[in-house]
Amino acid sequence: MSLIIRNVQIISPGSPLDGATEIGIDQHTFVDPTALPNATEIDGKAAWLVPGLIDLRINLREPGLEHKGTIASETRAAVAGGVTSVVATPITDPVVDSPADVRLVLERAKESGYCRVFPTAMLTQGGEGNHLSEMAALIDAGCVTLVQGNRPFSSRKIELNALKYAQSLGIRVILDSESRDFAEGCAHAGQIGTGLGLSLNSPLSETLGLAADLELVDATGVNAHFSRITTGTSVARIREAKAKGLQITCDVTLAHLLYSEKALADLNPNFHLERPLRTEDDRLALIAGVADGTIDLIVSDHSPHETGAKLAPFPETERGMSLVEGAIQLLFQLDQKGELGFEQSISAMTVKAAQVANQQELGSVQYGHPADCVLFDPNGSTVFDASHWLSAGTNSPLFGHTFSGRVVGCWINGQRVTT
Amino acid sequence: MSADVVTLDIRTSSASKGETLFDTLKNLEAMQADLFVVRHSAGGAPFFIADRVTPDIAVINAGDGTHAHPTQALLDLMTIRKHKGDPANLSVAIVGDLKHSRVARSLVHGLRGMGCPDIRAIAPGTLLPTDLEHLGVHTFHQIDDGLSDVDVIVLLRLQKERMSNALLPSEREFFNLYGMTESRLRHAKDNAIVMHPGPINRGVEIANEVADGPQAVILDQVTNGIAIRMAVMAMTLSTQQGSHS
Repeated sequence: MSLIIRNVQIISPGSPLDGATEIGIDQHTFVDPTALPNATEIDGKAAWLVPGLIDLRINLREPGLEHKGTIASETRAAVAGGVTSVVATPITDPVVDSPADVRLVLERAKESGYCRVFPTAMLTQGGEGNHLSEMAALIDAGCVTLVQGNRPFSSRKIELNALKYAQSLGIRVILDSESRDFAEGCAHAGQIGTGLGLSLNSPLSETLGLAADLELVDATGVNAHFSRITTGTSVARIREAKAKGLQITCDVTLAHLLYSEKALADLNPNFHLERPLRTEDDRLALIAGVADGTIDLIVSDHSPHETGAKLAPFPETERGMSLVEGAIQLLFQLDQKGELGFEQSISAMTVKAAQVANQQELGSVQYGHPADCVLFDPNGSTVFDASHWLSAGTNSPLFGHTFSGRVVGCWINGQRVTT
Repeated sequence: MSADVVTLDIRTSSASKGETLFDTLKNLEAMQADLFVVRHSAGGAPFFIADRVTPDIAVINAGDGTHAHPTQALLDLMTIRKHKGDPANLSVAIVGDLKHSRVARSLVHGLRGMGCPDIRAIAPGTLLPTDLEHLGVHTFHQIDDGLSDVDVIVLLRLQKERMSNALLPSEREFFNLYGMTESRLRHAKDNAIVMHPGPINRGVEIANEVADGPQAVILDQVTNGIAIRMAVMAMTLSTQQGSHS
């Protein structure tokens, strides 16, 4: 089956086809449309054609937390947001820490998933931070990287060993820098949290953890990715470390680019996150970090919850928001607000994410590459209400709102995916 | 005020059996209450309830976490006005554990709302919340500096657990540095009043001679509290009934 999509503007940072107006798809790959004389044609009506987004951090909740979401429901939501590949956290119940768990996730994704699913597993057994996981076996089973997740190492010594071992096997690790001593608190230690009398999370929780992690990465030479940085100080530290030559990358969540601590003012529990929203200055520093390339990736950190998890006073609710369903619309919103160009944010969720996820053939509209792409109409709009909502988690600031931009179509491996 | 009162003690109520606050709320609604007076350990709990309760039930925040204690602030403001006049002409110092105090937060909001130009917080850094200056409060670590020429001194209760969290070395050291004694009181204006939300810890926040002295208005606060709380209940209930007609 072959297809030509004409009358589009291709936005694929770094690709020779960036700026082109038509693309061919033959079987599973992008091809030169002139090589497809008998193809079906689609009129893109001047919409934008971008590589399918790659989300390096999503909670699919399966196995064990199906009351919050399933691989089926959350990958379906992802596709609606223009995401064609997801890297799943191993934060399930139980956590993913064995090859059998990895195979289970892959099988469930094959049976019920709407997009590409790349599993990850914990660096330590049970995520308990004490014993190393069977890293080589986990990678063999299909993990693209191994992660610490939101579970701390029991000591810096164990962390050092985990990083050393991963380095010797050539495995990239994803770290969540946090100092255990300061990890508590449901709001940023600032004006809003103080005024509301909430338990406070100091930015030191992140910057102390990051400083220590950077030392260990430097000492071991491991290829490390720092996930969910939230403070301007962290951006500066990462910038310095990169300038020094450390082989590191990092990401920021969509929520931290879009919202600051002010979002907590009316105690909406959807803004109760694992990493608190920080000051407006921090938010602007994070945006500047993406713009200058210090921050490599943007992730959704999509965390669907059942209704009951958020049906309590703010401090007692579970943490996280359901967001992936509006991923591309939110990137577009940053562009419309004049804060971050669409090309830059797209780059941070496509070609750069492909590098970190070790899927170099994805994330770029190029001849010969797998045909994963999204047709996005910047003049359309998307209504996020109960009748259209796909994620099992309605714990979302999107829910009940209309956003600019609309996903017209989504192709994965050359096949159109309908949600 | 001749209301029938149902008091829920969390230790013995269904909350200890895993009932969520939402379901407790629905059960109390079903008991046809007119008014909920809510004290809860989670900041924002009364708002959570007010958002979800049927509109003919009034909700009064009687203290939520370290967030707010509005009726205490109202009775404090009443006491200040009665003894010292318009807060817009006064300097007020709040001494002690502001970090964990819902009383202090509400009082700061109330004083600012009444135009008080000089609100001071006096405590060691471990007992001051982050970013207090943004709420319009000047912070002092030395009590004698902070008390200089103030009209009103509000002492806060010190909880025992602050010592085990390494926020303070001991009650004795707190009293030595921040306890309200007659000699410290002399730094304030001559007729300054000394307030405390109670219950007081003698020899911790306050010396006996100050607690029992002429400038203390602590028991007057208690009396004013009855009037304020009656007024708040009457006003909220009459508003509710008004909305029916």
